[in-house]
Amino acid sequence: MVGRARPAGAALLALLALPAMRASAQTLTVGTDGDALKIRVVGLSFLKGDPITRLKDGRSVRVELAAMVLPGAGRPPAVTTRRIFALSYDLWEERFAVATVGVRSPQSVSHLAQAAAEAWCIEQLAIPLSALSSLGPPNKDMPFWVRLEYRILDSDSATDSPESAYTLQGLIDFLSRRRKADSSSSALEAGPFRARRGSSSQR
Amino acid sequence: MGSLLALGESMRTLGLLVTLLVATPQAATDQTLLVPEGTIITSARVTGFDVDRLSPGLRDAISGLAGTPLRKDRLEELAARLEAERPRYVAAVRAVMDDGQARVFFVMGRRDGPRRDDKDNINERYVVEQADISGVPEADVSQALLDDLRALIGQRLDSGEAERVRDRIERELPDYEVSRRIQRGSEVGRIRIVFEARKKEPPPWLRFEPLRSIWVYHSEQGGGAFVDANIGDRNIRVTPFFAIDHADDLVEEYSGGGLRFETRKLGTRRLGASFEWSRFKQDWRPATLDALALRSDIPSPYRRRSTITPLLKFAVTPDISIAGGVSISELDPLSPAIDSTMANAAVATIDFDRAWRDGSDATHRVTGNVGVRSGLRDLESDLTYTRYLGEASYRFDFGRHHVRAGGMAGRITGDAPLFERFTLGDSTTLRGWDKYDIAPAGGDRMVYSSVEYRYTGLALFLDVGSVWDANTERRARVSAGFGFHGGPAFLVVGFPLNTENLTAVLTLGLRIPRIGIRW
Repeated sequence: MVGRARPAGAALLALLALPAMRASAQTLTVGTDGDALKIRVVGLSFLKGDPITRLKDGRSVRVELAAMVLPGAGRPPAVTTRRIFALSYDLWEERFAVATVGVRSPQSVSHLAQAAAEAWCIEQLAIPLSALSSLGPPNKDMPFWVRLEYRILDSDSATDSPESAYTLQGLIDFLSRRRKADSSSSALEAGPFRARRGSSSQR
Repeated sequence: MGSLLALGESMRTLGLLVTLLVATPQAATDQTLLVPEGTIITSARVTGFDVDRLSPGLRDAISGLAGTPLRKDRLEELAARLEAERPRYVAAVRAVMDDGQARVFFVMGRRDGPRRDDKDNINERYVVEQADISGVPEADVSQALLDDLRALIGQRLDSGEAERVRDRIERELPDYEVSRRIQRGSEVGRIRIVFEARKKEPPPWLRFEPLRSIWVYHSEQGGGAFVDANIGDRNIRVTPFFAIDHADDLVEEYSGGGLRFETRKLGTRRLGASFEWSRFKQDWRPATLDALALRSDIPSPYRRRSTITPLLKFAVTPDISIAGGVSISELDPLSPAIDSTMANAAVATIDFDRAWRDGSDATHRVTGNVGVRSGLRDLESDLTYTRYLGEASYRFDFGRHHVRAGGMAGRITGDAPLFERFTLGDSTTLRGWDKYDIAPAGGDRMVYSSVEYRYTGLALFLDVGSVWDANTERRARVSAGFGFHGGPAFLVVGFPLNTENLTAVLTLGLRIPRIGIRW
C-alpha cells in the first residue's frame, strides 16, 4: 500500500545523483517539481528512423513512454508511470505537435522542435514523491534507480514471414548488437539516486 | 465435488460473459459502471482480444486490479490505454457485482471503420488542394475511386477519411501495397495527399520441403538427432542435413548426412525443382533383426543407404502443387560378399496447403498430400513395389488455444525396401507405444489419426492407429497423454490404452524447424 503524500513543506527531498549513467552519450537525471519526481534525459531521441519518416510524411506516430522507480539496478519496478503520446509534424510550420492519448484530461502542445517535443513527453511522466515510500522506511535515505522505456506503437515494420529463419542480415545485426527491436523500443536506466528526507518529515 | 464446483464457477463466468457481450462495445468513455466505487475487485479480464498481444505493462496493470478497490477513473484509464495500444479496437469497461465483490471485464471489439491513428494530427487544420495515386496506370483506377479522391479536395484534411480511401484503393487494387503521404501544397495552408501504390511481390506458389530439425529422447527407443539448416533466399535454398542415431521416423536407425538443393522459381513461380543426395549408415534393433529372420518376404536389411532424388514441381494454384521425379537408392548389404541392391522408384505427389484467418483473428491451416512411389524394373530397380501414402492435417489457433487434428493412411504392394515400410509409435505418432513392440519390421498397411488440444504449452492428445502386414491380423491401438511445449522444447507422456501393460512412455527433446541463414 502506497502511503499518502506528505505535505510538500514537510518533506524535503534531496536527490543526489551519484553516478548518473551515461550510455552512448545519453544521460538520465532526476529532479523534483512540487510533489513529483521528474526525469530529465540528455541525448535520448526516440524519433528516428521509420517514425521520423512517417512524421515527415504528414502522418502521426504514437509513442508509449514509461518511467519506473526501481529499488536496485535491474530490479522489478516499485512504481511505474506510463503515458501514450500522439506526435505529428506540421508540414508548413516545420514544428512538432504532441498530444496525450488515453487520459481523461488530454494535454497538447505544438510548435516545438524535435528535441523539445521529446522532452515534453518525458516531462509528463511525473512520479508522485509519495510513491517512493514503497521503496522502504520513510526515515531512511533509500537509494533507488530510475528506468525510462519507450516503445513506438503502430509500427509499420513488417513482421517476420512464416518462412523467415535467421536471416544473414539478422545474424549480422545480432553479432553487431544492432537488434531490430532496438529501433522501435529502448530503455535507459540510471542510478543510484538517493531520497533524503528532512527531519521534519521523519516520525 | 471439486469438479462440480469448478463447473458451476465456469457456468457462472460464462453467464456473466454472455450478459456482457450482448452489448457492442462503445467508446471507453461511454461506459456505465453500476458497481459502487471502492468495491473490491476479485478479477479483471480482457474479452474479445488475445491478452497475450497486449504489452506486458498493460497486462500487468489489468491483472493487478484484482484485490484493489474499484476506481472508475482507473478503469477508464486502462480502457483508454487498451484503445491507444490497439487502435483498431474499441474497449469498454463492464463491472458486475458478484457476492459483494466486483468482477471487471474489458470488452474489446473491432472498430467498424478503419483506425484513426492520425486523429491528433496537427496537419488536419490544412486544406487539401490535390489528391493523387502514384505508381498505378491511370486506366487501372476506377471512376468511383477517382471520385473518392476528388471528394477529399477542398476539405480540411480528414485523416480517417484519407485512410478509408487508402483502404478502398487496396481493395480495388489487391496486387498493390498502398501508403499515403502528405506534402505541402502550392501555398501556405494547402496540402496534397499522395497515395503511393507499389506492386506487391507475388507470394510464392511452391513451398520448400519443410525443415524438421529434432533432437529426441524416447524412453523405449533411446535418443537421436536429425539436423537440417536452410541456406538461401526467397526462391533458392540449399539444405545440408545430418542424422545421428536417428530412429524416430523409420524402422532403421540411421546416421549420416546429405544435401538438398531447391528452387521454387524456374522462370515462373509455378515451376520449381529439387535435387537431394544423402548417404546414411544403418543400425538395426535386435527386435527388427529377429522379426526379419522370420520373414523371408521382406527384403533384407542393409548397412548403408545412398540416395539421389531429383524432382520437378509444378504449382497448379497457390494451394495445390504436384511433384514428380525419381528416387535412386543403392542399399549396401550387411554382408560385403553380396552385391548391393538398387531400389529405384518413380515418385509423384500432390500437395495441398491452405491457411487463412477468420474474422475473430483465429487462424486455420489445412494441409494434405497424396504420394506414390513405385519401384520399377524400367528404372533398373532390383525391388519392385508401389507405396501409396495419403496424409491430411488441420490446425486451429486462437490466442492460447490450439487444436491439431490429422490422419494418414498407407499401403504397399510388392517388395518394398525397409526404409519404405510404415511405422507408428514414435515421438509424433501413437505416442505411448513403442514401434518396435507394434511392428518391429514395420508394416505394409497403415492407418492413423490423432487429435490434440493445447492451451498455451499444455497439450492433451488422443492417438489411434494400426500398422500391419497384408497377411497378418490388424489390431487398432489407442493412446492418450499429455505434453508440455515451451519454445523448441517438448516433453510428452503417452499411455497405451488398449493393452494389459499400462506403462507410461516419455519423449522429450527439442524441435527447431527453422535453422538457417537467409541472404
